[in-house]
Amino acid sequence: MNMSIRSQLLKGILDGCVLAVIEKEPVYGYELSQKLLSIGLAEVSEGTIYPILLRLQKNGLIRGEMRPSESGPNRKYYFLTETGHEALETIIAEWKQLSKPVNELLIGRREG
Amino acid sequence: MNAKKLIEENNLKRERLTPENEAYYSNLLLYIRLQFSLSEQQSEEVLMELLDHLLDGQKAGQTAVDIFGDNPKGFADELIEQLPKEEKRQLIPYFGGIIGTIIGWFLIIRGFLFLLLSPFTEVKTMVYPLSSICIALVIAGFVICTIVLILKLIKRSLFKEKDNTTKSSILAGVVAALGMAVVLLVAKFMPEIGPAFDFSWWASILGGGVVLLIRYGSKKFNSM
Repeated sequence: MNMSIRSQLLKGILDGCVLAVIEKEPVYGYELSQKLLSIGLAEVSEGTIYPILLRLQKNGLIRGEMRPSESGPNRKYYFLTETGHEALETIIAEWKQLSKPVNELLIGRREG
Repeated sequence: MNAKKLIEENNLKRERLTPENEAYYSNLLLYIRLQFSLSEQQSEEVLMELLDHLLDGQKAGQTAVDIFGDNPKGFADELIEQLPKEEKRQLIPYFGGIIGTIIGWFLIIRGFLFLLLSPFTEVKTMVYPLSSICIALVIAGFVICTIVLILKLIKRSLFKEKDNTTKSSILAGVVAALGMAVVLLVAKFMPEIGPAFDFSWWASILGGGVVLLIRYGSKKFNSM
């Protein structure tokens, strides 16, 4: 139950999280899932990033490129495109606008 | 890296999976590859990413279910929904090439058969194009229906705990046999209509050779 509420809340903002990770440095799928995990977003089943990556690619927010990885073999690394940078800025601005009143309402309720 | 290379690499890497993970991944792979309307390049790229991820996870002690969830069909459908469609431009030469190869080989085999049989029996080298086209259409219809049926049966058998392979095989066999019977009956009783011309063994081999050469040449040209 808790898990499903969390993953539902996450659904809307996951695109933004994925874009933000890729913005820091280009990553391939496995790296991306490990980074999301280490940030604390363990709710994302690792596989779910792939439909997201495909959609972001289709919409031109990221692009993939085959490159040799640190461990050797070729991996498809994802880079943020110009459109991707703009989209991330928009998502961050929207998140700020949303999170402030939501925090006040849901968390401030107890303290007030 | 093009799709063909990715497929070869995929075949090699898949051998490193545990039997359990291999079963899960192979279902996913077949199910996605059977979506012919999708871009082959993009499909193979994401399949390679999933395989790499699974191999990395396997090293860390994870299983396919841990990584991709316990609903492989649902996961595959999500991927399919996001994969871009293959461009029509690439489908036409693909099917054109297959048809060209079939016609080319048919003409060559016909030519050699007539050459070999003519000393022993009288062969009819007269061809009625209108009748031939009708028969060819019936054969094409039969082949397409059978292929579509078999692919449907394969798709249905994926992600199932227990396979109904025997039942599916019998169904496919019966349909193929019935279709073949229809083709033979049509070929036997098709009236000889329309204009006719003499199509000798050497003309047949020559024609088939030219078709195959064009096909081979365009393949070389496209891969350059």
